[in-house]
Amino acid sequence: MQIKPILAAMRHHKAGTVLIALQIALTLAIVCNALFIIQQRTARVSRPSGVEETDLFVIRSDWADKSDPRRIDAQMQADLIALRQLGSVQEASSTNSFPLRGTGWDNFIKLQPDQVKMTTDAAIFFADERTLAALGTRLVAGRNFTAGEIGAQQPRDALHSAQVIISKALAERLFPQGSALGKTIYVSMGRTPSTVIGITDTLQAHMTGSWANPYAYNAVLIPARLLNDYTYYLVRARPGQLAAAMRDAPKALYAQSRMRIINAKDGVMSFAQVRRRAYERDVGMAILMGIISVVLLAITAAGIVGLTSFWVGQRRKQIGVRRALGATRGDILGHFLTENLLIGIGGVLIGAVLAVGINLWMVAQFEMARLSLAYVVAGVVALLLLGQGAVLAPALRASRVSPVEATRSV
Amino acid sequence: MFAYYLQLGLRSLRRSPMLTALMVMAVGFGVAASMITWSVFRAVSGDPIPGKSAQLYTVLIDNRGPQYNDNGEPPEALTYTDATALVAAGKAAHQTLFYNVAPSVLPEGNQSLPFIANGYATNADFFGMFDVPFEYGGGWHASDDAGRAAVAVISHELNQQLFGGADSVGREITMDRHTYRIVGVAAHWDPKPRFFDLFSGNAFGDPVQLYLPFARAVDVQMDTAGRNNCGSNADFGVGRDAWLHGECVWVPMWVELPDPAAAKGYREFLTNYAAEQQRAGRFHWAPNVRLRDVNDWLDHMRVVPPESRISLMVALGFFVICLVNTIGLLLAKFMRRAAEIGVRRALGAPRLEIYHQFLVEAGTVGLAGGVLGLLLTALGMFGVGLLFEPEIARLAHLDLSLVATTLLVAIVATVLAAFYPTWRAARVQPAWQLKSN
Amino acid sequence: MLKMTHLSKVYRTEVVETYALRDFNINVKEGEFVAVTGPSGSGKTTFLTIAGLLETFTGGEYHLDGVEVSKLDDNARSKIRNEKIGFIFQAFNLIPDLNVFDNVEVPLRYRGMKSAERKQRIMEALERVGLASRAKHYPAELSGGQQQRVAIARALAGSPRLLLADEPTGNLDTQMARGVMELLEEIHREGATIVMVTHDPELAARAQRNVHIIDGQVVDLSEDPRFHAAHAAADQAHG
Repeated sequence: MQIKPILAAMRHHKAGTVLIALQIALTLAIVCNALFIIQQRTARVSRPSGVEETDLFVIRSDWADKSDPRRIDAQMQADLIALRQLGSVQEASSTNSFPLRGTGWDNFIKLQPDQVKMTTDAAIFFADERTLAALGTRLVAGRNFTAGEIGAQQPRDALHSAQVIISKALAERLFPQGSALGKTIYVSMGRTPSTVIGITDTLQAHMTGSWANPYAYNAVLIPARLLNDYTYYLVRARPGQLAAAMRDAPKALYAQSRMRIINAKDGVMSFAQVRRRAYERDVGMAILMGIISVVLLAITAAGIVGLTSFWVGQRRKQIGVRRALGATRGDILGHFLTENLLIGIGGVLIGAVLAVGINLWMVAQFEMARLSLAYVVAGVVALLLLGQGAVLAPALRASRVSPVEATRSV
Repeated sequence: MFAYYLQLGLRSLRRSPMLTALMVMAVGFGVAASMITWSVFRAVSGDPIPGKSAQLYTVLIDNRGPQYNDNGEPPEALTYTDATALVAAGKAAHQTLFYNVAPSVLPEGNQSLPFIANGYATNADFFGMFDVPFEYGGGWHASDDAGRAAVAVISHELNQQLFGGADSVGREITMDRHTYRIVGVAAHWDPKPRFFDLFSGNAFGDPVQLYLPFARAVDVQMDTAGRNNCGSNADFGVGRDAWLHGECVWVPMWVELPDPAAAKGYREFLTNYAAEQQRAGRFHWAPNVRLRDVNDWLDHMRVVPPESRISLMVALGFFVICLVNTIGLLLAKFMRRAAEIGVRRALGAPRLEIYHQFLVEAGTVGLAGGVLGLLLTALGMFGVGLLFEPEIARLAHLDLSLVATTLLVAIVATVLAAFYPTWRAARVQPAWQLKSN
Repeated sequence: MLKMTHLSKVYRTEVVETYALRDFNINVKEGEFVAVTGPSGSGKTTFLTIAGLLETFTGGEYHLDGVEVSKLDDNARSKIRNEKIGFIFQAFNLIPDLNVFDNVEVPLRYRGMKSAERKQRIMEALERVGLASRAKHYPAELSGGQQQRVAIARALAGSPRLLLADEPTGNLDTQMARGVMELLEEIHREGATIVMVTHDPELAARAQRNVHIIDGQVVDLSEDPRFHAAHAAADQAHG
């Protein structure tokens, strides 16, 4: 393949060459970053929650009368008994919050009472002896709460936290060397210490914002019912009976007392819904970037087809002359493929620089991660292949130009 | 001539259908992607109270000190102590404070079930400061705040739900077992972003349903349904009273200061207040106060979701690529007609007329692209729920201004993209045409 | 009407300079019918493109209707082309996207004529070439002779003072060529100045005056020995 005549032809079509190269460069820059965003978001979405999610659902019950705490406490215990008696329900527990809820109660965790800065941050989950079973989360060390240890408290009371269970990630963060079991930590703002009696397997916090990434798996279980204006019930259905249990549970609660409010819209949510809600931003972003990437590649390919077809049309006579002078179809095909490859290489070189530049800018603006070079390489290969694919049809048409064209005047 | 060129342009659209389709699609997709993401972006980044955004300020005081504060920044709301003291001082033209409440509302009649309504416990100044419009009645008076009156203002929507939209001023509403007399029904009001309630993350939350006096709500121990931030302070005590008078922040406060001089004066007052707290031994640090106006506050709280910004950027980049694509295709389309240009020039068309003709032709491509873009944008409005969470997605809507912008952007962008190809077309030498024979 | 004195046209590339016209002199009077002949590459077409203000020249002077044109800008040249000159090309050069009516209309559009007047002129011109009934047809639907007559109608519609024809019958068979030629003669009788480039001696013979170009210069036919050789060669080539 001779490069010289191709370069000459490109010089002749300077504008078109530059436009295609520019388009390839910009497409590469955007598609690389879009794919990277997709990967980042999907990675977030596919993080484990540490919860056995199938057959799990949550109910929020607001107290309509905001009655006094003792009555709320009695009602909660009665509710739990009613829920556990349902045939479709395997386990039920009360809590203030749960993994992936989005909002909730988080406390700074310290190792010393006088410590100025926190050691880390963690979600506060009020739990009872059944909470871990309801979540389907195992203990990796220590023991569960006993029924006798479960207290009851109002939000502004001192935290009922003499004994706590903490998540594995939190344990490792607090005590990188050695086990956290039996150690003392400070989970309330006060000077009252808490003893770690158990460590769970992976358990995700309620926080889903990116600010909370370092704390995403930090959770502290407090052995108490929180007597607040509302409560959540974590309910595990018997295997395969999720739908039935989600229908039965609110009825059972209303049968207990009508002075409660279970929002028709999102008062009862399966954990799948909880997960969807927690990550809809991420999923939406991934979908948008996906759509944009696909359409962008299609438009770039179409642009290459359009412009190359025009060149072929313009050069029919020239091609005819070459054919008359003995160029084979393969030569003509090779000419256009090579021309496109050269333009493509020019484009991807600029594009790779742009891709990294855009990423660096986004890193500065949006606290995003650094673009992995693998994406740039993959993008480069993809765009070069796309270019070759797009140019194939017009190039084949060019290769079929008859040598007779040489003699024909336009 | 414009009509002539428009006619030629439309005819030319049909001449090379493949090229035309490619260009129309490029412009259409490009403009649609930009418009969909822009419609979201303009909703989340707009000025929520245009006439007043430079006169409303949120008041912040560092009650934690350099050891505990957030890199020198005071916490994002005030303590109950500071907020009530500053409002009582009344040094601004108007001042308000509030916290989020979510009482259960019991409708009249035995059949109805109670429900939770979102609202604010606030003072009389709130309504005037934030331009709350009224359908019936009005806000309560400062005397009601002082007298801890059991009065309430409800939203248009809540009035529909409870009273079927009738004038309910003077009637009663039961919230958390207490009754309140309705003094006003607000007309639909839902500024976005809800600049004054960023502390609790309600920038794009559901519309407010009711308002009741701050002092009254505190009296009946209505707890905050919003954020409560105690920072990393040492022990803040046990029980409601200790919390109420402690150093946890949960009360946003706003003042209205009509001009920069007033703002300067208020800032001095605030500094003096903090200095006083220092002298009294409550703060062990020099005064550290902030007075942020609406836009400053929106910026500081980064209220525009990064997703919205990133998607707008990516969509704009996408549009640019579509336009580069269009430049190339227009070049092909125009140069394919070099013969026609040569003839027109020979027959006496000045360069300007060639520009005119081809720019108008590009404009028709842009118009067609704009129409496609409009369809795609309308389609995208249905799909926007897939891309953004509901409270953001519902802000995006296709209104007249978006329709006009879509068409205008498509046409202007295509005409701009056509400048280079048109310049090339106008450079075609008439003689070249003769020679080629 | 058309007067060139010591006119030269040089094509420059990076490597060579080529004289297309050199010390070129010609004077066509108002109402004349001049045929310009010469072998291929002699500069006939270059002369015509310069005469028609389609191209600029390198040196010398060119007066068109008493105006020295080398100083005119592109707009003024366009205006003269539009108002004073009519072109007839060998390849007709109709715009394929436009029908007969719209093709004839093109020069009138650039003159900013009112719609009614345009319509009247177009129909008159088409009447004249006998194609009024084909106004709505597209060029591709017409024969070569018809297309050339449309092109003539287009040239006539603007009532130009000067008609420039470049091998107007070059792409036509004998019978069609005769028709076109008769049309040109008729137009000439009505007072138009016509300059026609051709290498067909038979056609040239029907003009009032013949100008012969060889190597970019006008030669005197009777005195230049080169003429006879060239003429013979042309006869051979086209005979």
